[in-house]
Amino acid sequence: MKTLLKVQSLKKYFPVYGGLLSRIKGFVKAVDDVSFEIKEGETLGLVGESGCGKTTVGRMTLRLLEPTSGKVFFEGTDIIGLKNKELEMIRPKMQIIFQDPYSSLNPRFTTERIIGEALSAHGLAKGNTLQKKIESLMEKVGLSKIYMNRFPHEFSGGQRQRIGIARALALNPKYIVCDEPVSALDVSIQAQIINLLQSLQKEDNLSLLFISHDLNVVKHLSQRTAVMYLGKIVEVVPTKLLNTKAAHPYTQALLNSKPSLNPTDRRRPKPLQGDVPSPLNPPLGCHFHPRCPEVMERCKTEIPRHIKLEDGHFVSCHLYND
Amino acid sequence: MGSKSKDPLLEIQNLSTSFHTDENVVRSVRNINLCLYPGETVALVGESGCGKSVTALSTMRLIPIPPGKFENGRILYKGKDLLQITEQDMQKIRGNEISMVFQEPMTSLNPIFTIGDQICETILLHQNKTEDEAMELTLEILKKVAIPSPEQRINQYPHELSGGMKQRVMIAMSIVCNPSLLIADEPTTALDVTIQAQILDLLNVLRNDTAMSILLITHNLGIVAQYSDRVAVMYSGKIVEQASVEKIFASPSHPYTKGLINSLPKDEINEKLATIPGTVPHPAFLPEGCAFHPRCPDKIDACEKKIPELQPLENQPSHQVACWLYHDSVSIT
Repeated sequence: MKTLLKVQSLKKYFPVYGGLLSRIKGFVKAVDDVSFEIKEGETLGLVGESGCGKTTVGRMTLRLLEPTSGKVFFEGTDIIGLKNKELEMIRPKMQIIFQDPYSSLNPRFTTERIIGEALSAHGLAKGNTLQKKIESLMEKVGLSKIYMNRFPHEFSGGQRQRIGIARALALNPKYIVCDEPVSALDVSIQAQIINLLQSLQKEDNLSLLFISHDLNVVKHLSQRTAVMYLGKIVEVVPTKLLNTKAAHPYTQALLNSKPSLNPTDRRRPKPLQGDVPSPLNPPLGCHFHPRCPEVMERCKTEIPRHIKLEDGHFVSCHLYND
Repeated sequence: MGSKSKDPLLEIQNLSTSFHTDENVVRSVRNINLCLYPGETVALVGESGCGKSVTALSTMRLIPIPPGKFENGRILYKGKDLLQITEQDMQKIRGNEISMVFQEPMTSLNPIFTIGDQICETILLHQNKTEDEAMELTLEILKKVAIPSPEQRINQYPHELSGGMKQRVMIAMSIVCNPSLLIADEPTTALDVTIQAQILDLLNVLRNDTAMSILLITHNLGIVAQYSDRVAVMYSGKIVEQASVEKIFASPSHPYTKGLINSLPKDEINEKLATIPGTVPHPAFLPEGCAFHPRCPDKIDACEKKIPELQPLENQPSHQVACWLYHDSVSIT
């Protein structure tokens, strides 16, 4: 399989202003040296707790946010250096589905306009062809075309998310960032949307960056899983090895803190202690060391590097250094 | 585990709560029956809008009237009907004998008072204590809910605490008067998974220490499986199934319960998930008969005509289902 997206040492530092003259006081290192790649037709799951930088990574891969440094190669071209005109040529191939279907649709636009806007903006269809195209997109995501002239407030959460998906699919993209697309939905609706995403991916050979805090959902959908903690990817693991071979203590803690669905098995491992530290002032060395059950001396001073455990399985943890 | 020989601590009988708006009547809770025994945790599960929170708020009598209205039913707490007593008597119970932990710790604490002041307020209101004694008790309770360096935290404002810490403060506030019943309305939905486990374990320890009952409201079936003794499943304002947690997961009977359990992502990668087709009906425009029938895979004629009530399954008095598939067989035998 060909590599579609390649991210190299991506960084995003947000300045923090303070003091009398609003000078820069420090930086929030929201994303700090993140690298990964996604192959054609592959789903990479990106998990982590709130504030760890998942969404920032997702948006930077689309250049919806300018990275502080680093490179994003899309089909071999580094999109970070591109001028607006050149970017416009590539943008149709990359799309995003947002978390909150309530605030990501314009309340004054009809479904037809929401889905068709990108098509007409890029001059790809108009008049009758546009109409036909919108109809077929709605059908594809399981919405009846009679809803074409309705406004977002007339739909339920699940239906709105379908509109969001149809909008993302309108330009036949190759790569879609799914930013927590099911976390705002009820369980029974969640399953519908997950199935829809999965079948669309197969149909169109899409590559997905699937951002979520729910390990169950990521495990279900993705071939590989990347785990983030405080701006860094701490482990990338083929999803089928996640249960048995998760290496980083944080990945293990995430797996353990997920409540089991078996009420007769209540051997709950001790949950991780403490809180996620402030990204403004992250701990020295490995960021995870104050909460790590297996902390060693060197973790407190030395930032661990990525270590390859086997094909496609990387971890950054001093436990695995020789 | 609650022993069934004792009298129930809380008994909700035929409770209906509705909201009268200008356009229509929203029947949020329709004729429900629910019991809680001393020391047990009962989980109330369902999707958003199914009436879980309205049930909880009705029990606390925190429903704004109007537009809210208790149509019928009783809420017996230690034999006393909470819907009949005066507001003054209710205030003595609320926060003291029955207390509540809300979903969003971010918005449930008052931003302009220190957390010490807020916990003290509860103590001074309900217990005969001086301010110094109340402060001492506050410190003690903060230690009990495992807040690190409580001596400093007690003088901090809510914005200085993380989400998990705030929820610990909320829990501290709700247990400081040793309630017999704690209503936890989605206590961990706004929190991260590693913090979620800490908070739920804390609630479990507190329950075991103090023998209080917990009504745990959640939509997360993993939490239900791990932390409850009995489960009541709600759909469109009605309890559709009620049983022990083991029964609910091992042999769910109502098609909705089955659907919920099957639609969860399991460990198998890339398999298609089972789904419940359609969406939850609008509570002001419920379908005739069983509210679940338009989405039900096992629908029979009776479902469209008459509302099924919660009844025990054959030979299993503790496993109750509101579904015509089972009622017929019950009436035949």
